[in-house]
Amino acid sequence: MTTPIISLENVTKNYALGSTVVTAVSGVSFVIREGEFTAIAGPSGSGKTALRNLIGCIDTASEGVVSVRGHNTAALSDRRLTRLRLDTIGFIFQNFNLINVLTVVQNVEFPLLLAGGLSSSERQERVNTLLAKVGLAQFAKHRPNELSGGQRQRVAIARALVTRPKLVLADEPTANLDSATGTQIIDLMHELNRNEKTTFLFSTHDHRIMDRAERLIQVADGRIASDEQVQR
Amino acid sequence: MWMLLSIAFRNLVQARRRTGLLSLAIGLVTLLLVMLLALTDGINDNLIRSATVVSAGHVNVAGFYKATTTEGAPIVTNYAEIRKIVEENTPGLDFVTDRARGWSKLVSETASVQAALSGIDATQETRLLRELRLAKESDYKEGGRDEVIGDVNRISEPETAILFAAQAERLGIGVGDKFTVRTETSSGRTSTVDLTVIAVAQDLGMLSSWSIFVPKETLLALYQLDSDTTGAIWVYLKDIDEAPAVMNHLREVFVQKGYTLMEYQPQPFFFKFEVVTGEDWVGQKLDLTTWKDEVSFLTWVLTAFNFLTVMLVSILVVIIAIGIMNVMWASVRERTREIGTMRAIGMTRSRVLVMFMLEALMLGFFASSAGAALGAGVALAVDAANFVIPYSAVRAILLAETLNLVIHPEPLLFSVGLLTTFTAGSALWPAIHAALLRPVAAISTTE
Ligand SMILES: Nc1ncnc2c1ncn2[C@@H]1O[C@H](COP(=O)(O)OP(=O)(O)O)[C@@H](O)[C@H]1O
Ligand SMILES: [Mg+2]
Repeated sequence: MTTPIISLENVTKNYALGSTVVTAVSGVSFVIREGEFTAIAGPSGSGKTALRNLIGCIDTASEGVVSVRGHNTAALSDRRLTRLRLDTIGFIFQNFNLINVLTVVQNVEFPLLLAGGLSSSERQERVNTLLAKVGLAQFAKHRPNELSGGQRQRVAIARALVTRPKLVLADEPTANLDSATGTQIIDLMHELNRNEKTTFLFSTHDHRIMDRAERLIQVADGRIASDEQVQR
Repeated sequence: MWMLLSIAFRNLVQARRRTGLLSLAIGLVTLLLVMLLALTDGINDNLIRSATVVSAGHVNVAGFYKATTTEGAPIVTNYAEIRKIVEENTPGLDFVTDRARGWSKLVSETASVQAALSGIDATQETRLLRELRLAKESDYKEGGRDEVIGDVNRISEPETAILFAAQAERLGIGVGDKFTVRTETSSGRTSTVDLTVIAVAQDLGMLSSWSIFVPKETLLALYQLDSDTTGAIWVYLKDIDEAPAVMNHLREVFVQKGYTLMEYQPQPFFFKFEVVTGEDWVGQKLDLTTWKDEVSFLTWVLTAFNFLTVMLVSILVVIIAIGIMNVMWASVRERTREIGTMRAIGMTRSRVLVMFMLEALMLGFFASSAGAALGAGVALAVDAANFVIPYSAVRAILLAETLNLVIHPEPLLFSVGLLTTFTAGSALWPAIHAALLRPVAAISTTE
């Protein structure tokens, strides 16, 4: 067994909606270890995005403990959380969320500039290698709005991987793609998981996509319904 | 950070229409500010020029002589000795001249006017004679020739005079004509002399309307003063800005040499008669002033103009500040998800703030620089065109015949700095709001 990157202990997330309280995540516990390729599956409104936010250090739990590389995220300042996200986690969004005014290369380079510490040539090298891996080398100078949805999501994958994070979080990465493209994106992620040893945690409500996972956590109404290794 | 600068710049380009409109507003206000400051500097230049030609040196050593406690004359006795002290003790001295002064009635066949007489010594007034621009005969005489006649250098001959155009017109006389000067000496007797006009100068605003130049000996003879007397010793410095310091230095020098000095009053000498005649001393007291003191009754023009500039520009700046703030709010709202994404990826709050502030700074800087450059261009063109100011009241206030605009680098930098600061200041609140957005809220706005 490898070291845990993420551990959730009895985590609950409540949202106050006027006078009522919505419980998006309820008493959830699990651990994500290095090298996993895990899917969180569940219908819309089951709490997948809420879990992504907690694990991704962009939101804190109402109850329970979320630990990222051993740090209790509830105890960290905004500055420390920001640095933790930058160093530890790569994000892939449902809507791609690229920076429209930047080119493909610049979008991918962006997290490296935030992190600092690499020379310009080291950054270029890393960005170009990744763009080649996601099959976008010839689109380097394009703007996001000149690309198809599938191509944009590949840019987002390259951006998520460029800092070599311990964990890549992908919240419904295929929801805005046709099923063939969606499958290609999941296959690309799986390939990167095997070849680069990148840990992926992605959520979906699409059965064809969740079938590709090596571990499947099913959620319903904010609770874990099942958590199992998928046998092939 | 280059990336932030580049993002900020591209967002400005992206929002072309918005950026264009704001740039236009910022640019126009800067242009207006630059032109107003150029006009202010122009008036200031006119003021310095006319003041230091007609009314004062950069520093003046004048004073009052009281034969009895109730009579005071604006004269300096021991002229030669005092002048020597000035020449030997003035740092940064350019040259020294002196003017005898009087106040009298000028009488022609058709009219009479009151005027201040400046008694000048042609041999030491090369600068004055060079700087005086002569008027065309047609400027002051109906049916006169459309050319300059007369020769200022003939002021070295006794019983001659140089008039300004407005006086020549009022007296109905021109070059070669004679007129009478009538005055009272300190003993109360009437004294007159007939002078020949040898040149007529262009007006220099209101200062010139009551001044004429006559030879110093003629003036001393008119007032029956001896030749070791003058009205004021005018000290010209290499740098006019040193005038207050030099004045203070000379005051100390004169006190050390045993002269009695009047208390420093930053006012022209003709405001001081009443005070001096009211005091009970006799003999000579020296009074040192700067050129500014001698024309202090005119500085309200500059003050009023500055006030106008400040008012106008403040109102416009407040209007555009509101505009900028609105546009920045819209920009932050539109880019909320992008901000959330950047924050999630690992951008700190301070960098979000910097990113938005850079956008505002760039907008302010480029727009105001363009406005300032254009304003400077227009100002220089207007100045070069030598527009004749159509109203005599405006000419009197602006102290010149033609519109004079002066472009100095400082007001340009000031204008760009001011507008850039205001643009950035207006963007501060929206930018702080953007920086404080919670990444989770920002991402989920449209996801
Ligand atoms: N900011 C919020 N305020 C109130 N309720 C929320 C908020 N975010 C999510 N919820 C609620 O929490 C539940 C889980 O939402 P979410 O995590 O977005 O589900 P999923 O991503 O699986 O579709 C839903 O009932 C949703 O309405
Ligand atoms: Mg969701």
